[in-house]
Amino acid sequence: MVASLADGADLEAAQGVSSDSIERNRSEWTGWAADFVESAERNWASDRISWGVWDVPEVELQVLPDLDGKDVVELGCGTAYVSAWLARHGARPVGVDPTPAQLETARRMQKQHGLEFPLIEAPAEEVPLPDASFDLAVSEYGASIWADPHRWIPEAGRLLRRGGHLVFLVNGTLFNLCSKDVEEPPDTAFQRDYFGLHRLEWSDDDSVNFYLGYGDWIRLLRANGFEVERLVEIQAPESAQPSRFEALPLPDWARQWPSEDIWVARKVR
Amino acid sequence: MSSADAQRNRAAWDAASDEYQERHREFIGRGEPRWGMWQLPESELQILGDVAGKDVLEYGCGAAQWSILLARAGARPVALDNSGRQLEHARALIAEAGVDFPLVHASAGEAPLEDESFDIVFCDHGAMTFADPYATVPEVARLLRPGGLFAFSHSTPLALVCFDVETDKVVPELLRPLFGLHRIDWVENEPVEFNLPQGKWIELFRDNGFVVEDLVEVQPPEGASSTYRSKEETEWSRRWPMEQIWKLRKA
Repeated sequence: MVASLADGADLEAAQGVSSDSIERNRSEWTGWAADFVESAERNWASDRISWGVWDVPEVELQVLPDLDGKDVVELGCGTAYVSAWLARHGARPVGVDPTPAQLETARRMQKQHGLEFPLIEAPAEEVPLPDASFDLAVSEYGASIWADPHRWIPEAGRLLRRGGHLVFLVNGTLFNLCSKDVEEPPDTAFQRDYFGLHRLEWSDDDSVNFYLGYGDWIRLLRANGFEVERLVEIQAPESAQPSRFEALPLPDWARQWPSEDIWVARKVR
Repeated sequence: MSSADAQRNRAAWDAASDEYQERHREFIGRGEPRWGMWQLPESELQILGDVAGKDVLEYGCGAAQWSILLARAGARPVALDNSGRQLEHARALIAEAGVDFPLVHASAGEAPLEDESFDIVFCDHGAMTFADPYATVPEVARLLRPGGLFAFSHSTPLALVCFDVETDKVVPELLRPLFGLHRIDWVENEPVEFNLPQGKWIELFRDNGFVVEDLVEVQPPEGASSTYRSKEETEWSRRWPMEQIWKLRKA
């Protein structure tokens, strides 16, 4: 399908809008799903909300609004451990993910933990849920990285009620400049230009990642009715150990530069 | 910001002012408002918009080239600078232009101006570069009327992380940590500069009641010239932003 550019999207970044990435990422994630079972089991067994590969606790960052009784949609939920955490803090989550194999793990975890909530098989670019039906949209290493922001941010805006929050974690902008297109940690040299940041394709698999520069995120959020409340640039804690993901920064890198950014925005229009 | 930094920057700018104004006279003395190191026209960027009838504070005005043009466009400018020598240059240019507006000699963190007395506070590589944002952002919040615009250009934090002090060049590589970026005192006898990681800027703006309306990361057009930056630096800036403009609204 030919998608139209989101209202007010940065036309200069017009590599346009991606429609190939949904299929490509679903296919890759189908293959990877088995590797995420163990982390799903570990995360589902905890009720402590934390963020990113450095496991920074929510109590420290405080990026989430009050959760009690709130309708939450998790975009690109994978094994839905974030939704599980939010449910245990009083929220009513709905998990959305395009990859059936990931949702299978999520369903198994739900049964195992006796914690059920709706799981919907769909890409965050096209969510089959009604307008203005959520108080919070959240994405941690989900749609925020694997869906085209020019499509999923408007969807998040559509799904949220006025006053609702959007909280998402992406790869850090400086990491994006330095990240290699193979499974190796970044060093300090830039691998690509900042202007025009949008898609990252890998030389050793078929998946597509997305990212924007700071100004492009701000403009895209505002064009879709959001006010930017926070940008939390995550610093790895001193005790950080290397993550299991080989393309992500090592702790020493992530102590100096943000490897992850969390954006917090509120739907005001 | 300590008063020692304000004193140091006043002395540094007093000493550098004559040479600075001579070197950049033609480049920044153009007939229409232009922004930054590559002098991109306000008519294209539309940061300040219509200034007619508005009370405007230029926050770190140098020789007040901007305020002179805004006065001609119908604004009521007030131009503040920490350097007396810069303001002497401003006085000469104002007389030459045949306009008239107040000049204020003060450190930006302690502007002797009334609460809520401006519709726009802005600077183009001014006080938001040379004074501590933890003093200036609350000060601007105090000076602006509700709904007022706060806009300023300055270096990107990225450019500072990539600046090689030894060779005086910007490189495509992370040379120093971003975390902790705040007070920049790398070169002896030069002014102290200030900057923050983008997330810390946003936090500071929000804590002082500002809505973030835009962050323009400047990409100079191909072949752009500058009396501030070498050809190599301009080439770098075509790929990674060296300069940015914040546009903020007091709620």
